[in-house]
Amino acid sequence: MATIEERVKAVTARILKLDPGQIKAEHSFTVDLGAESVQSIELVAMFEEEFGIEMDEDAALSVETVDKAVEFIAEVCRQQGVDVN
Amino acid sequence: MDKLRKQHPLVDARGPNLLEDIYPYSLPPLIRFERPVVEYIDGKAVEFDFRAVKDRDILITDTTFRDGQQARPPYTVDQMVHIYDLMSRLGGPNGVIRQSEFFLYTKNDRETLDRCRALGHKYPECTGWIRAVKGDFRLVKEAGLKETGILTSCSDYHIFHKLRFRDRAECMNAYCEIVDAAFEEGVRPRCHLEDLTRADIDGFVLPFIDRLMEMSSQVPEELSVKIRLCDTMGFGISYPGAELPRSVPKLIYKLNRECGVPSDRLEWHGHNDFHKVHANAATAWLYGCDVVNTTLFGFGERTGNPPLEGAIFEYIALKGDLCGIDTMVITKLADYMRSIGLPIPDSFPFAGRSFNTTRAGIHADGLRRDEQIYNIFDTEKLLGRPPRVAITDKSGTDGLAHWINEFFGLKGKDRINKIKIHKLARWVIDQYDEHGRLTAISDQELEAKVRELLPEYWEKYKGS
Repeated sequence: MATIEERVKAVTARILKLDPGQIKAEHSFTVDLGAESVQSIELVAMFEEEFGIEMDEDAALSVETVDKAVEFIAEVCRQQGVDVN
Repeated sequence: MDKLRKQHPLVDARGPNLLEDIYPYSLPPLIRFERPVVEYIDGKAVEFDFRAVKDRDILITDTTFRDGQQARPPYTVDQMVHIYDLMSRLGGPNGVIRQSEFFLYTKNDRETLDRCRALGHKYPECTGWIRAVKGDFRLVKEAGLKETGILTSCSDYHIFHKLRFRDRAECMNAYCEIVDAAFEEGVRPRCHLEDLTRADIDGFVLPFIDRLMEMSSQVPEELSVKIRLCDTMGFGISYPGAELPRSVPKLIYKLNRECGVPSDRLEWHGHNDFHKVHANAATAWLYGCDVVNTTLFGFGERTGNPPLEGAIFEYIALKGDLCGIDTMVITKLADYMRSIGLPIPDSFPFAGRSFNTTRAGIHADGLRRDEQIYNIFDTEKLLGRPPRVAITDKSGTDGLAHWINEFFGLKGKDRINKIKIHKLARWVIDQYDEHGRLTAISDQELEAKVRELLPEYWEKYKGS
């Protein structure tokens, strides 16, 4: 089963139309990967769909990098009882 | 200069100070004054205490059917009666909109007047407007009016070039004859000092007012002359220190305190040729003129008159209370005026379709968090017009979320967040990025897209 990081990268690649191999953990969604405003919203929506979770809008949109997104999603999954292991 | 400088230490706070004593939100922002102001007149310092306005019986009068109608094709009788009816509701039982003036010359003019009075409203009282011609008093008398405006133009542009009097004395005598005729008919004359802000104040205006005051002292109080100060070309200036004849403060002072015309017999009538029309009217109120003359939506000759609805909000702001005014009627009047072809610009304050519509995404974000951030007052409560967002590629997802929540009528925790509307946000962006759209997206288009892309919310809140 894919890890959270792999799934986050896959969703990010699909939304931002990138090769998953280009995406690094330390990359910023906006500065490095070029996410525009509406794409940031789409990313959060697709992460919710991918993991079956609901994220706080402001908190989710304040996450800047891929590795922080992985941490954030892992924590939300834990809080909402979603098994991702 | 250095002596004026001082340090301003930060007053730290853990919560906001929203200045709610000035910005109560349930009312327009209140206008408060610290202390009297001083204006130098004829070399003397004269104090004016604007705080007194809260207790003075300041009023609004209307000339939508006279000056307002000179700027457009005639209203039908039915239209005028309906507008008058709404205006009465707007001004409320205290008669904040105290009078409205009517032409008397045609059959339609007279029928309008009769039908308006037949509605039985106490306010606005109906008054007339006639030329300075003796024979015209027959019309006033036949109409059963107690008061009429009379054109008494006072600049030399009018006295010599328009009316062709030989000299000022001949002019003044002619005007006074008309005033006498009004007294004889038992009609109160309201002398309209046309082109006052271009007149010789000391040489003609003040001597004329002195004479009118003398004549008024010979008749019962209810016939005594009222004075309308007409800034016919919009030359009036509100700033302290401005010279006569353009200074609104000095004009009011001269007539009110030097000539002794009581405040309740002074009325300011302005025009908007220099974008000063509302400020000048409010200034007249503050310096001692009790009445400002207005038209609905400022519609009037050339650039228009003080907007009545602007005066209404100024009145509430000065008084700190609605005083019986029904502000919701402003929206009804605006809708009605549009329905009969009166073009109110979309951005027109209080009445335009977009007066509280924001287009910038960053403003929409503020609105989404707290509508008070970008709304002037509770426009939903006072005008039935909640703040809105117009959707373009600049509106952002915040703007779109605000639009949707308003569309579904959702507040507080029920509001839909931006994440849930990502499909609609994508559609909006693609309209511009992919399809090259250059126009705003209409409410109708968005409604259809909401139904298509957010069916679960449509089902929940629209029910079909």
